[in-house]
Amino acid sequence: MKRTVDVNIPLGPIHPCFKEPARLKCEAKGERIVGAEVELGYMKKGIERIMKGRPWQEVMFLAERVCGICSVIHNMVFIEAMEQISSIPVPPRAAYLRVIANELDRMQSHLLANFSYCYTIEHETLGMYLLDLREQVMDELERLTGARVTCAYMIPGGVRCDMPRHNAEILSGSLDRIERDLRRYSGMFADGPMIALRSRGVGILTKEAAQRAHAVGPTARASGITTDGRLIHPTYRQLGFVPLSRTDCDNYARVMVRFDEIIQSISLIRKCLQDLPKGVIRGGGVCKGGETRYSGEAPRGELTYFIKSDEYGRIVDIQIQTPSIMNIEACCHEMIIGADSIADVTATFVSADPCIACTER
Amino acid sequence: MTILQQIKNKVRARSIHVAYVDVGSCNGCDIEVLACLAPRYDIEQYGIFVHNNPREADVLLVIGAYTPGWEEKLAMVWEKIPPPKAAVAIGNCPISGCLFNRRESFVDPPVKKHIPIAAEVPGCPPRPTEILLAILSVRDAVFANWEGEHP
Repeated sequence: MKRTVDVNIPLGPIHPCFKEPARLKCEAKGERIVGAEVELGYMKKGIERIMKGRPWQEVMFLAERVCGICSVIHNMVFIEAMEQISSIPVPPRAAYLRVIANELDRMQSHLLANFSYCYTIEHETLGMYLLDLREQVMDELERLTGARVTCAYMIPGGVRCDMPRHNAEILSGSLDRIERDLRRYSGMFADGPMIALRSRGVGILTKEAAQRAHAVGPTARASGITTDGRLIHPTYRQLGFVPLSRTDCDNYARVMVRFDEIIQSISLIRKCLQDLPKGVIRGGGVCKGGETRYSGEAPRGELTYFIKSDEYGRIVDIQIQTPSIMNIEACCHEMIIGADSIADVTATFVSADPCIACTER
Repeated sequence: MTILQQIKNKVRARSIHVAYVDVGSCNGCDIEVLACLAPRYDIEQYGIFVHNNPREADVLLVIGAYTPGWEEKLAMVWEKIPPPKAAVAIGNCPISGCLFNRRESFVDPPVKKHIPIAAEVPGCPPRPTEILLAILSVRDAVFANWEGEHP
């Protein structure tokens, strides 16, 4: 069928609102968007091709650099998959420290996503508040792991370094400060009338559409789907983790779900600090051959590694499934369609928190 | 140095516009550049504005190991920037390819082969303060007395 389109509007690959290069081709009728396609391929490095045939000691650093924003979870999923293959036990203290590092990483990733959204809808004040708060979270991550971004904290059979008691006290003190500020900022976002004009009812992704597009992570949870990879993780089950969800289905809900999850992460870290078991942080073990499929919950959704290794711990085959590809699909084919103006397109695209680097790898 | 040139130097030192282009990194350096905007580092107190628009930029921050998708496109971005201009390579990737520069990968580092690079900031990723320092040193080295050297 022939479609009447007034104008084709390409956005990107270099765009003031996008952190990473992606090209959005929107078909507009007047100001209304009738169709959109995303064009990727600016970041394809071929990490999985490099990984094949290398020992796990090298691949763990490569896995971390699949995505720089959520590097801790890539490290965690790869290491836990190797542990599952080789049946290496994890000491309880190390398991709790892993959760702390992972939740701190989730906090900084969600804060960055919400900063990007506020920056895109031109609410720069709130954006800067959130970016400043993110620096405090980065400080805590650096104090725990020793590096800001690519920290390689987890190793098979444990973690690299322990958390001394005084660091735990500093961490819980900063968590109190971060939570106090965060509640204020999320209140500002929730009550701002101008923010509501740009966010409420924009970029609707209904529950059926989210299921059709296989949306994952906060994007799905904002549409009322309670899916979370942390539910099946043993340490999170010990901590009594319950996933959050919202039913508003719009940009506002996606940002608010992230705010709620940061507060949830803070309470998870507090619980970890409270019952942090004593003991060793490294149990030791040898990586063996085998194959497995292992999933974890990245800040953006479900992350799956399929790994096949040989008897010396070399990676024979590896496949990575990252969450952003499903969310970008949901964004282009469901959320953007029907947007009332071009300005809403960038806001909607950023609200889905797409991560192009891990999509293309 | 003429009085006009002195005025230009003084004004230009406080109005550096920055665009960043990601030619295939892991995002780590990307968010460290974004972190420079944070009130803690406050890139704007030095008169540096991050616009991400090549047509009004002075400094281009190049991040990443140069993937095939950027062939011709990176040079086009570089040509869009009006002179005086400088490119700064952020992170190990544009300098050497970091750990992506292996057999079987698609990248083609260093970026120096494709566009002229004025400064390099090694690190995986470098800290925001180091990125700031590089932009500031480029400002003094490239933009001061530019008209005098290019009549």
